[in-house]
Parts: sequence; C-alpha cells; structure tokens
Amino acid sequence: MQGVLGVFHHLDSTVSAIEELKKKKLGDVTVYSPTIRHELDDAIAGPNSVVRRYTLIGGLLGVSFGYWIAIWSSDYWPLVTGGKAIASWIPYTIIGFEVMVLVGCLATVAGMFINSRIPRLTTTVGYDDRFSAGHFGVFIECDANKASQAEDLLRHAGAEEVRREA
Amino acid sequence: MASVAHPVREGIRGPNIASADVQLPAVRDYEQVDRDIIATLGFTKKWFIGLALAIVAMLCGASAWIYQIYWGLGQAGYEPPVMWGNYIITFVFWVGIGHAGTLISAILYLFRAGFRTSIYRAAEAMTVFAVMTAGLFPIIHIGRPWKFFWLIPYPNWRLLWPNFKSPLVWDVFAISTYLTISTTFLFIGLIPDFAVLRDKETNPTRKRIYSILSLGWRNSDREWRHFAKAYLFLAAFSTPLVLSVHSVVSFDFAMGLTPGWHASIFPPYFVAGAIFSGFAMVWTITIPMRKWFRLEHYITLNHLDATAKVVLFTSMVVGCAYLIEFFIAWYSSVRPEQEFFWNRVFGQWWWAAWIMLLCNMALPMSLWSQKLRRNPTWLFVLSLFINLGMWFERFVIVVPSLSHEFEPWQWGGYTPSWIDMAFLVGSFGWFFMWFLLFVKQMPVMAIMELKEIVTPRFKNTHGHGGHH
Repeated sequence: MQGVLGVFHHLDSTVSAIEELKKKKLGDVTVYSPTIRHELDDAIAGPNSVVRRYTLIGGLLGVSFGYWIAIWSSDYWPLVTGGKAIASWIPYTIIGFEVMVLVGCLATVAGMFINSRIPRLTTTVGYDDRFSAGHFGVFIECDANKASQAEDLLRHAGAEEVRREA
Repeated sequence: MASVAHPVREGIRGPNIASADVQLPAVRDYEQVDRDIIATLGFTKKWFIGLALAIVAMLCGASAWIYQIYWGLGQAGYEPPVMWGNYIITFVFWVGIGHAGTLISAILYLFRAGFRTSIYRAAEAMTVFAVMTAGLFPIIHIGRPWKFFWLIPYPNWRLLWPNFKSPLVWDVFAISTYLTISTTFLFIGLIPDFAVLRDKETNPTRKRIYSILSLGWRNSDREWRHFAKAYLFLAAFSTPLVLSVHSVVSFDFAMGLTPGWHASIFPPYFVAGAIFSGFAMVWTITIPMRKWFRLEHYITLNHLDATAKVVLFTSMVVGCAYLIEFFIAWYSSVRPEQEFFWNRVFGQWWWAAWIMLLCNMALPMSLWSQKLRRNPTWLFVLSLFINLGMWFERFVIVVPSLSHEFEPWQWGGYTPSWIDMAFLVGSFGWFFMWFLLFVKQMPVMAIMELKEIVTPRFKNTHGHGGHH
C-alpha cells in the first residue's frame, strides 16, 4: 500500500483537506484522530457500521440458546419442583435474557474486531505516533502519478507535515 | 515525570454539569490530557503502603479459607436456624457495589450525562473487581468450592442438569454474565488508551505489553466508526443487565416465604440500594485518588456535586423502600410479618437496623446542602458511613429474618466467628489489591473520552472558540 500522509494540528484544516480530497477523487482516504470528532465523521460521510447486525444475530442466538437449554434439560429430567410446570416460561425468561445479553455483547465485540480489522500485529503504513496524542492525519492511498497532486492539496489545506509512504 | 496542571480554584457554588464547555475548564489541550493521565502511572511510596496493606488483608481471608476447607464449613458462625450469614451478606454487598460502575459507564452514557466522563473508568474497574469479590462468596459458602462447576449447565456423565427454576441458578447466570460483560466493556474502552500508552511509552517491555493490549489500534476513521457503534450497543445491553442482576439477587430472598423477604418491592429496592452503595464506593476510591494523583481539575467539585445528587436521590428511594416495607407488613395483616418488622427495629437486632437507618437514611440528608455536596472531605466520610450502612442493610435482611421465622421454636441467634470476620476483611483486601494494581498499570480516566470534551485546535477560530 502506498500513498501520501498529511499530519495536521488543526481540526478545521483536516476537515477541509478531507473535503478537497473527496472532490478530487485521488484515492481512498483514511483519517486518523486522537478521539471521535463529529466534524470528521461529517466530512468523511462513511457508511453505517455493520456492527449492529452482529449484535442482532448474537442476541437472537443467545436468547434462543438460553430458552432451549432450560427447556430441553427440564424435559430431559422431568422433575416437578415448586409445583411449577416442567418447562416454566417465566423463570426461564431470566436465563433467556442473561444469555441473550452475553452472546449479544460478545457478538458485538466480534463484529467490531472483524470490521475494524483488529487485532493486527503492526500499525501498518500511514500511521504516526502523534495521531494518538494531539494531531490529526489524512492518508491518501494513491500511486506515484497522483502523489504530487495529493501532496500539494494537503499542504494547501494546512498540513504541518506531508510525506510519501510505501 | 511530566508536570501536571494546577487545578482552577473553585468556589462553593458552581454550575451543574450540563454542557461540555463547563466540565474541565483547566484542561487546555489533548497533549495535557495525555501528560496528566500518564503522570498518574508513576509509582509512589503511598501506593506501595496501600498495596501492602491490601495484600495483608487479602491473606487474612485466604488463610481463613484454607482453614475452613480443612476443618469444614462448621467453622463459620452458622447455627440453626441462621444458615445464611456473613457470606451471603457480603456477597450481596459486593454485587451492589459493582452496580454503580455500570450505571455510570452505560446508563449515564446513554443519557449523555456530562459528569460521567471523569469518573467512569475508575467506576468500571471498581465494578469488575467488586463482582470478582462477590463471586467468591457463593463458592466459599458451598463449603466444597471445587464442586462449584456443578452449577453450570454442561453435558456430563451423571446426566444431571441444574434446576433452572432455582434463584440460585439464576444468580449463576446473572453474575457470570455481568462479570463477563463488565470486563469486556472495560477492556473495549481501554483499547484506544492502550494505544496512547503504546505510543508514549519509552520502556521497551512496557511498550511491548501495551502494543499487545492495544491490538494494533491506529485511531483510524474505520476503527472509530465501529468502536462507537459497538460501545453504544454494549451500553444498551449493559443497561437492562445492571437492572436485572440485582433484581435476580433480590429473588434469592423474595422467592422465599420467610417473613421480611417475601415482597414484590425487593427488585427495585435492591437496585436502588446497589446504586446508592456503589456511588458511595466510587467516592471512597475517587476522592483519595483525586487528591493523591492531583486530578482535581478532572474530578472537579462540579463532578462531586452531581454524584452527590444521585446519592441523595437513591438514599431517598432506599429510605422510602424501608418505610414501605413496614406499611406492607401492617397492611397485609399477616401476624408473622408484623411481628418480624416490629422485631426488626425493637427486637434482638435493633442496633443493626438503627445503624442502617442512620447511615442510609439520615446522614445522606446532609446532601441537601450544596456546601456539603461540594466538600470532598465530608463526602469521603459519608461514603464510609454509607458503606457501613449498606453492609448492615444486608445483615438486617438476612439474619433477623432467618432467626425469627413463623414459629417460636424456630427462633435463634447468630454470632459471626473469626472466620467470618477474616473473610470480610479479606474481601476488602482482595478488592483494593486489584484496584491498586489497576491504577498503576492502566489509565484511571478515559483519555479518549476526556479528549472528546476538550476543545481541539482550530486554525480559524471564528465560530469555534478554540485554542490556537
């Protein structure tokens, strides 16, 4: 993966660089920021996270398993306790609920890991230690032909440092 | 060690924390957040002394456990009819402590409460360690701890399955889910902060450890997008979970016919009590931390004021529940219930009930005074009283009920043995040992979320009010 990285100190400069890059369509843009900023989200206008699908599927699997294990094991050893039905829906709702939360949450985390592509062994091309501190970064994945145009654009937007990455 | 900023002097009267710009007036930029929070990781003499005391206390409990395993459960102070004592009291106490952490990290996150940011990491860690502590007590209580896995449903050669209609099995599901989710929630929030530590760390061994823990986090837009969504869903799941867990714990009592237990008010009463005691423990740990780590400009008097209002509110809910229990007993016309509640405040265990009422109902009323709500010393002292009062609340629920059931021949007493006391001391040692280890290895405040409320730098300040 090769491209150009711009390091910014100011949020508004970063936002204008992203907007310009999107207009010019020089390549895929990755934005780095020390924290979540809605200004950046608006400028990037990325797709919705699909993590919610993992949550839904995990929750449904969990609740199904919770009810199933309680009902199946009660039917397997049908001993009446407390004068209640062998498969008692009300107490088993507690098991269903707890397992739904457990599997739903773990599926959510799995969804986040898979979609964020973590864990990864290295921080890869285009990362700078300053992005976890106080600086913002914009990386454009592009070939050498478009690199100088990208460099000019980033400098013009107010990048503190611009460098080619490979 | 980098220098930290001096706190802004605050007056007795201050604003409520509603908007981001009044939260951290003394914090200027992102770099200062990194500097100040990383500075808390330095080892100090006070920390070593605290850790040594915690380990000694923990060893008291560990020794008692070895002794009890060797000599049997009879070494605990149980005597018929009181066959639940300190272990169940302390179990409920620690589960309750854990609840404030999830309330702060999940429920207040969904409600966008401004005062949450500075205290939630410590509260989340407190939750994990409190639930770890609580989880030990049912295992200790079963007498043969190596058999505890029989409570978990798994295919086995005996073809046996747990009784899913038993509140004790519900507890196993609720507590284990709660511990797993609380730990996951804590770890997910820590990932971006581990990346900060990874990038700042100069010691190669620690850098390597933080690199592994940060999972290669890069702060990219893709990562933040999925992180934000996952965090939201974890909070959304944790909110009903936190309400369910202490409701399930209350079912351990409410599902029985024992006088003083069989009441439908128990789930909300237990949840309110748990939040109340948990916030008190948040004060017990954050007020000294605020002073020793020089974090007064992060945990401001406004933050303490806001938490004090939650404590005041939950104290009133708990107080109301105490009084309604007496009303229910009177209105039910059930003689054993009426007898029991009279006995609660004027009988054998009157002193425990009055300690509970004093610490949980009377003393928190001082928080109607804004001056006291903004006095860290008073809040710390009050937190100790509330911790004491909430332990006695569980004592009042467990012991007087079991010692004074329906028939006079069933009545009896309970005297905790030295084993019980050693376990109680040991539980505090175990909890504080983990917490003290945590505060020196991981950021006690969420660096990423603190940066969210600090104004970033703007080149063009028109309309932003940012810093150059």
